[in-house]
Formats: sequence, structure tokens, C-alpha cells
Amino acid sequence: MTVAVSRFALPALGRRRRPRTLRPSGTVPMYIGIGLLSSIVLLIVVVPFLPLYDPFGQDLVDAMMPPFVAAEHPLGTDSLGRDVLSRLSLAGLVSVGIAATVVAINFVIGVTLGLIAGYRGGLLDSGIGALSDVQLAMPVVILLIALSAVFGPSTQLMVITLGLTYWVGYARVARALAMGLRDRDFVVSPLTQGGSHGRTVFTHVLPQVLPQMAVIASFDIAVIVGIESSLDYLGLGVQPPVPSWGAMITEGQKYLQINPWLVILPGIALFLLVAGMQFLSQRFTTESVAPARKGARR
Amino acid sequence: MPIYIARKIGQALVTVFAVLTIGFFLGRLSGKPGALILPEGATQQEIDAFNAALGFDKPLWQQYVDFLAGLFTGTVGDSYRQKVPALDLLVDRIPATFQLAIASFAIGLGAAMLVALLIFVTRWNWLRLALLWLGSLRQAIPDFLFGVLLAFVFSVLLGWLPSLGNQGPQSLVLPVACLATAQFALYLRLIGSALGEQQGMDYVRASYAKGQSHRSVVVAQMTPNALVPVLTIAGLNLGGLLGGTVIVEAVFAWPGMGQVLLQAVNGRDFPVVLAGLAVVAVFFVLVNLIVDLITASIDPRVRLA
Repeated sequence: MTVAVSRFALPALGRRRRPRTLRPSGTVPMYIGIGLLSSIVLLIVVVPFLPLYDPFGQDLVDAMMPPFVAAEHPLGTDSLGRDVLSRLSLAGLVSVGIAATVVAINFVIGVTLGLIAGYRGGLLDSGIGALSDVQLAMPVVILLIALSAVFGPSTQLMVITLGLTYWVGYARVARALAMGLRDRDFVVSPLTQGGSHGRTVFTHVLPQVLPQMAVIASFDIAVIVGIESSLDYLGLGVQPPVPSWGAMITEGQKYLQINPWLVILPGIALFLLVAGMQFLSQRFTTESVAPARKGARR
Repeated sequence: MPIYIARKIGQALVTVFAVLTIGFFLGRLSGKPGALILPEGATQQEIDAFNAALGFDKPLWQQYVDFLAGLFTGTVGDSYRQKVPALDLLVDRIPATFQLAIASFAIGLGAAMLVALLIFVTRWNWLRLALLWLGSLRQAIPDFLFGVLLAFVFSVLLGWLPSLGNQGPQSLVLPVACLATAQFALYLRLIGSALGEQQGMDYVRASYAKGQSHRSVVVAQMTPNALVPVLTIAGLNLGGLLGGTVIVEAVFAWPGMGQVLLQAVNGRDFPVVLAGLAVVAVFFVLVNLIVDLITASIDPRVRLA
């Protein structure tokens, strides 16, 4: 429910305007976000073309080299002598790839269920609502622990689990948008001419919903990268020898006394991506998407 | 009110039962555990005997009936590895985990509450902006990374605090700081926008109109109304906080439930994990029961509906 705050709503004229929400705004966060993200893009896209060592190649003689010392290993090497920069780059690609897959699954499930719930309403709506409440109740770490105990931890299991759990946000927004569109003339008129509900939703409601959902989805990639790296840290996600920022930090934590760079460097990469997306998204969520999302809350 | 409470308790029991049932069948998806648990060279007889001892030779429905009967005697099955009731392995660890979770939650929510009130009563915009930026930064760092960084700075560099295990109260500082800062950032934002939404309401204008002071309008009128949505979300988040506890326990080698559960994953010891699911479900349901009761006592519309 949005409340229009007129100037009469505030007590005693002439007082300073009070904060309406607690969120940074303006264009500064957006530029910070773009800056942080460009460095990650460089890391993932450009680094593989540099003449560096293979991310899997071990070299115990050169192990535990600190960064900025040798030109052949610009960011140093890990405990097995593998090149940190090329591992960071590959790990970033893996993380973003996984997150994009997860978001794609979430998106399809969430939009489908949300449109059905919002368009049809009634019993289906309450059913889908109950399903999404169940999703919210189970912490994904605990859920993945349970599934990993049965099937053994793997990247596929993590992708499927995250894909099947994080769709609730999309469903809520899609539902709210569909409810608002349901009775509009351009949706009703195809029905009066004999069009089926399915076709009407697909050709007339979906295109109205997609742009906003796509904005949310692209920013969710960073959220999922954060969650995914936590799961990698616990050993429930990407399995060695494939590098991931989370697992690199687990590994580096053992050598925190000797070579803290093994934690700091993947930490910086993770921060750049997650923080960059977060700052960039604040620009968009506060200005264009927020009103619709607000309306989505029941 | 009694009917309302009874209905809520009923819903809570159904939820716990559903989680346990789903968990039970999930555990049966991987088939009989004998071949996975016993060492490589075990003979077929040994594997069969192992499975039979755990009741895996019976038909599935009978296993489920036995499982339900076990629930009434307070067991979810024995650990495959350690041959003791799985719940017992967790029960010893519950206090450590809850210490961590409840301290972080109380400090995070309490501080956020106080600071949000301070901001709204004093209208200190600079404080709002400063905390917003800090909160945004904190939320951009996953818990595990923040924990490792805390350990690096305060334990490795400064040597002020222990970073591993439980060596007395000072061991609690870093893990709680790690979780509480995230909780603080989350709740400051939630309470801030909940209070912000109240500002334009008619009842607030009416309070000002009858001459109530700004401080008393914020504290006595707006806060209870703003608390209802915040508490509801807090209840839902506490389940997630237990997930966060698992991660932070791993960072600081804190001897809680999370450590047992992660070991159980490596050992494919499903009954232990099922016991963990049971504890989380009961905790989650209890917390939300309490939240519902508090909400009902603040907001009469809830209990009369």
C-alpha cells in the first residue's frame, strides 16, 4: 500500500522534510556501481586472453607466492602453486554462469506461477501463495544440507535447489502486475472474440510484465552469486578442482597467518560484483520498479 | 483469543509434521544406506545385515509407520555412523547455536530499533545517510566473507580476540558481530521504511493536531503500528538466521549444530540431518507462534479476523 504524502500531511509548516525511507538514492550510487562492475567485467572477459598460467596447473616450487612480486603470477599463487589471477577469472565466469542459470530457472517458474495466480485468482492463487510461504520458511542452507546428505554435494544439486527456491520474489511481482492487467480492455477483448485464456495471457499479459521482471532478474544475479559463494565456502556447491571464489576463501582461510591475500583477493572480487550490482540496482529499484514492487506486497 | 491460539498451535503442529514427513521420504530417495556407509570391502551379507538393523528390509509404508511411532518416543532414528539416537548428537550442540542466533538477533534488532527511533525523533539526516551507506556495504559482503575478514583483522592482525572454537565469552564476540551487523542493517532498513509509511497516516496527523509532541507521536503512536510488519518479517527471517548461523559456525569453528550437520553431509549420515531439520522446523514454528501472539496483542484486527 503506497501512501501519497501531501505537503499537508506533515505537521507544522516550515519544518525540515523528514526521511521517508531509509535508502541511499541519487545518481552517485549508480556511478559507483558501474565502476565496481567494470572491474569484474575486465576480470572475467579480458583476463582469459592474457598470457597467464593455466588455472589448474600446479607448481609446488612457486607455491604461496604473494601478489605484485613476479610478473608471471601478477596476483601470486595458492598453496598448490596455481596462478591466483587466472583462477579468480575462471571462478568469476563459473559463478556468473551458475547465477544466470539459477535466475533463469527462478524467472520461468516465478513468472509462470505468478501470472497464473494473478490472472486466475481464487483457489489457484491461494495455493500458489501457500507454496511460496513454504519456500520462504526453509532456509536454503539447511535445505541444501539435507539434499546433499542424500545425493552428495554437487554443482548440479546446488543449481537445482537454488533454482527451485528463489522464485518467490518473481511470483509476487508477476502476480501483482497480472492482477492489475486482468480486467483491462486489451486483455478482455481477445477473450470476447473467442481467444483462449492461455493465449491471451501469453500474447497480451506477458509482454506487459516482462520488462520489469527482467530488470529485477538481472540484479538478482549478484544476489545469487553471494548465496552461491557462501554455499561453495561450505563445500556444498562447486566441487574442486573447479575454482570458485567461495571455495578459494575456504582454502585461503587455512593460511590466514601466512598469506592473507588468498582470502583478500577472492573477497575483493566477490565484493566488487555484489556491491556493484547492489549500488547499480538502487538507482533502478527506487525510481522505476519500487512502486510496482510495493504494490505487490499483500 | 483462545480459539485463535488453538488454531495457531494446530497449524504449527501440521507444519512440523509435514517437514518431518518430507524429510523422511527424502532420506529414502537414495535407497538403502548400507553400501554407502560401510567401508569398500564389505560383503553383501554385511550390507544386508546393516540395512536390516536399520529397518530398511521392510516395505516403505511400514518404515514410515515405524518412523511415526518413533516420533512419539522422541526419536527420528539412529545415526548411521555413530549408532546413537541422531537427536542426541544435536541436543548437546543446540545451546551453542541458539546462543549465537539469539544474541545476534537481539542485538541487531534492538540496536536497529533504538537507532531508527533516534533518527525519526531527532531527524538527524546525516546519521541516516551514514548508516545507510554502511548498511549497504555490509549487505554487499556475504556473512562468511565478513566473518573471515573479522577473524583476519581482530585475531590475526590485532590479536585481540580468539577466532576459532569456544574459549569462553570472548569467543562469542566475533561470530555475534558478524551476524548482528547484518541483522542491524536489515532491520534498520525495515523499521525505517515501516515508520516512514506511518508518517502520512490520518491518525498521525490527528495526534499532531491535538497537540501531542513529535517525540510522543513517534514513540507512542507510530512505533506500535510500524512494529507489526517488522515483527512478521522478523519471524520469517529467524529461520534464515539459523542458516546464517551454520555459515558463521563454519567460519569460526563454533561448536554448534551447523558443524554436526556439515559433518553429517560428508558422512552421508541422513538421520542426523533429519534431526537437524526437525530442530529447525520446531524452532521456526515456535518463533512464529510467538510472533503471531505478539502481533495479535498489538493489533486487535488480527485476533478478531
